Parts: sequence; structure tokens; C-alpha cells
Amino acid sequence: MPWRLWNFVLVFGLALLCNAHPIYAETSDKLQFSGFARVVLGYLDDKNAEYLNYDNSLSIDNESLIGLQADYQMMDSLAVTGQLIGHSGEQRDSGIEWLYLTYTPTNALKLKLGRQRTPFLNYSDVIDVGYAYPWATLPQQTYPRHFFSNFDGLMASYEIPSTLFLMNIEGYWGYFKDKVVVSEREMEAKTTGFHGLISHISFKNWNLRGSYHQGTTSVTLDDVTQFSGLLSQLGFSQSADSLATTGVTEVFQFSANYETVDYFVRGELNRIKADFIFVPDTDGYFLSTGYNYFPFSSYISYSKNTTDYEQPASDIPIGLSPVLDGLAYSYLNIFEQLPVNSSEAYTLGTRWDLQPGLALKGEVSLIKGADNESAFFNIKDTAFDREALLYLIALEWVF
Amino acid sequence: MKTLFFSLIISIVIGFPAAANTSIVVVANTENKDIQLNRQQVRNLFMGGALSYDLEAISLPPKNQTRVLFNTKVVGLTESRIQSYWAQMRFTGRKKAPKEVASEKAVLEYIKSHPGAVGYLPVGVSIPDELTVLYSTP
Repeated sequence: MPWRLWNFVLVFGLALLCNAHPIYAETSDKLQFSGFARVVLGYLDDKNAEYLNYDNSLSIDNESLIGLQADYQMMDSLAVTGQLIGHSGEQRDSGIEWLYLTYTPTNALKLKLGRQRTPFLNYSDVIDVGYAYPWATLPQQTYPRHFFSNFDGLMASYEIPSTLFLMNIEGYWGYFKDKVVVSEREMEAKTTGFHGLISHISFKNWNLRGSYHQGTTSVTLDDVTQFSGLLSQLGFSQSADSLATTGVTEVFQFSANYETVDYFVRGELNRIKADFIFVPDTDGYFLSTGYNYFPFSSYISYSKNTTDYEQPASDIPIGLSPVLDGLAYSYLNIFEQLPVNSSEAYTLGTRWDLQPGLALKGEVSLIKGADNESAFFNIKDTAFDREALLYLIALEWVF
Repeated sequence: MKTLFFSLIISIVIGFPAAANTSIVVVANTENKDIQLNRQQVRNLFMGGALSYDLEAISLPPKNQTRVLFNTKVVGLTESRIQSYWAQMRFTGRKKAPKEVASEKAVLEYIKSHPGAVGYLPVGVSIPDELTVLYSTP
């Protein structure tokens, strides 16, 4: 807690120093500072549960953050970028989020090497910059928080201009190693051979994005690994294999935006497939439409996701001996405790652009889940009906 | 449409000289005088996209009347949406917003002194012979 607070204060102090100069503070033509900040006030109108750490008291320290970015142009085609973020929430670590070199040999080709954001979904590499999207928060149903936020590696981006459209293709390769929280358990995760391909097309008022990502992930779960080893020694190989802590993860994504001066329609869908326990296969989507009436825009959104774990194996016989029954019970108990986070959310909100670089948002979401599932709620009382209203007010700032 | 209407009302109230002009010309300092762009290409250029030509887009400040007109008639997005777009581009390291200059007069001066520079101006502004008009709104 003190370390997290110290990081937040440090980044905030640096940001204030930078903002002592005009917006886009330039200490020279080559060195530029910029930054972003968000203060999110939330309240869950239900005493029996928490949702994304919001409960039935006003809280400001879940998603508030501040980031500072420095860009240094070393040569015409070579630059270095660093980004430091201070998070107020306990779920995200503060510190260096980005640190990479950019090489731009032509105006159509760009290469980035170093620590970068993972571009899984349309907004996942800008999830911390609330000013960049209309909503107070991205829907948990489509933007699950357990997605890691950065990777180390190389990214290439190439633009294909045309008189009719603009097409951009990005490809990346790298690795990831950090602590993640999946299925309410914190674990050390390592992803190797992490790569992806992203295609983006702009045509008139349309913006389309499709992407595919893949990596081999291993997580450290000593208790599960030991139990799997025991099952294997006893000859229950199917059960042992079903507790694998290493496997391939794939992400498929498609989004479409249609925007005019008067209104917007945005939609996105994704599928996450994982080959190992604790990470369920997930399908998620959201659809949002908004009406612009300067300086406001109001929107309604719907988001939904379904999650599905692999079924447990059945090679441990039940009813033959108390020892085997105990073994089978312990095995099945692992699966029974996995949280099922299928849910849906209806959201109504308004964004008020106070001035360029500063916006205020207010929204209310009705979150619903099935009676026998977690639905992203941290349930305090078993009588909870898996239905709650979440109120959010967010002040977004870029400088 | 409402943005345009709102902007025109503001212009009338503050007496901005461009209020009578509802068309935009896109002007460049290029050696090749035959270059012509369509609306999609102009939009791409001012939204940071690559183009077959080596051109540098410059723009006006956010509350400038000509910029509001350009946003409405060429880009097709509100100013706040454009600001959001540039926040996304900047903080993902993809693109940088065009350099901003203070006024229409400064746009002309900048283009004249920077080969490859492209800016937008209201119809009616006198364009020096050495500059090329790449695009005009209907």
C-alpha cells in the first residue's frame, strides 16, 4: 500500500512539473512530455456484493490513475518513448508501462522495439486513457481485467494508402512474464511465442478492426501441479492432463465503428480460447450507440459475455473405495470452485466535453448474472440476486 | 449538422470574418502542381495516415471557426471525437496530431515557407500563385 501510494504520488508530481509548461510541454523540439489522468468515483447500489471492487460506499481509488509520457526524437527516423503510470487501485501495478524505440524508415512503415501495450482489443492498449473513449469504463464483459497490459518485443506497423480507404496492418512478436489474477487467484504467468496480427481499415465513416493473437502460457500453481503429478502417478492420466498449467491461448477480435458528426454506433466481439485450467473459453461482445449534441454526447450500451470451462475428466472411479472417492472429490472440487463469470450489462451515460483535453462522464450500469454464477461479483451474502446498479462519475484529462 | 449550425451562430455573434464562407480549400506548397486529392485522402492526411505524397499537414486551434468547418465537412467528426482520437493515437505511439498554427494568416505563412506543408483555409482567402489547391469542398 505505501509503495503503491508512493508511485502514484511520484507520477502525479512529475505530471504537475510537466504541466507547469503549456499543454504538450516541449522542453525542446526533440523532447516532448504529455500525460493523462482520470479520477473515477463509483458506487454499487447493493450491500450484498462488490463489482470490480466497487461496493455500496463511494470510492475513488479503484480506477483513478495518472500517466506521464516522454518522447525523445533522437534522429529523424529514430525515437524513444517512455510511459510511467501511477494507479490508485490495488489490482494494477504502478511503474513503467512502456519503454520502446521507434524506427520509422518511411512514412508508411514503423517498427517499435521494447515494452509496449498488448493490442488485443480495440481499446486494450488505451484502456488507461479514459479521455480516448466515450464511456466511463470499458465493459468488463468484453474487456476482462485479467488481460495483461504490456509485453516485451517487436511490433511492425505498415499503412497502405488508397484513394478510397486507409488500411493498416500490424504484427508483433514477444513475451510476457508477470503476476496475473485469474479466477480470483493470483499466479505467476509467463507467455512465450506471443504474437499477433491486426488489420485496421478506415473507409468513409467506417472503422473496422480484426485481429488474432496467440501465445503459449504457463502459470505457477504449485498445489495444482503437485496434485496433477499424484494423479498421473496413480494412472489417472486424463484427470492429470485436465489440470494442465501450460497451454496455448488464442484471442480473436472484430470491431466496427460508424461515426458521424451527429451520432456513433460502435460494436466489438471477441473470443478467448485457452488450453488450461483456470482460464475459461470466453465469448464477449458489446454494442453502443450515442448521440452528439455539443458539448455533450449521450449513449446506451449493451454488453454480454459467456464463459465455459473444460469439463472434468471421469477416469477416477467413484464408489469402489473411500480413498478413490476422496481423490475424486478433491479433483472435482477444483472445478466446482472455479468462478463462472458470465454476465450482461445495460449502460446509460453522458459525456460532457468541458474543453479540449478535459471531459466529465456520468453513467449507470445494470449488471446481471445467473443465480448460480459469480458474474464478476464478489459475493458477500449468498442471498444476493446477481443484479446490481453501478454508478460511475469520471473526470478525464489529457495534457 | 448541429455542430455546423452552432459554429455559424458563434461566428455571427463574434463577427468572425470567415462566417460567410462555408467552403474549405486545402492548399499545399508542392513542386508538383498537378496533385489533386479526394475527400478520403484529405481526411487520411489530417488524421495522421500515410499518403503516396510526402506532405506535412498543419491545422488550426480547436475553437477556430475554419477548423470546425473542416471537421464537419471533411473529417466528418466532432471536435471532441477528434481530440479523443488524437489521445488514443498519441498514447499508443501510433501517430502524432498535425502541428497547430494560430490563425488562417499563419497557415498561409507557414505553407509558403515550408515545402510539402498542407493546410486548410476558408474559400475566399487569396491563395498565392506559388501554392497549389489540392481539394475544395463542394
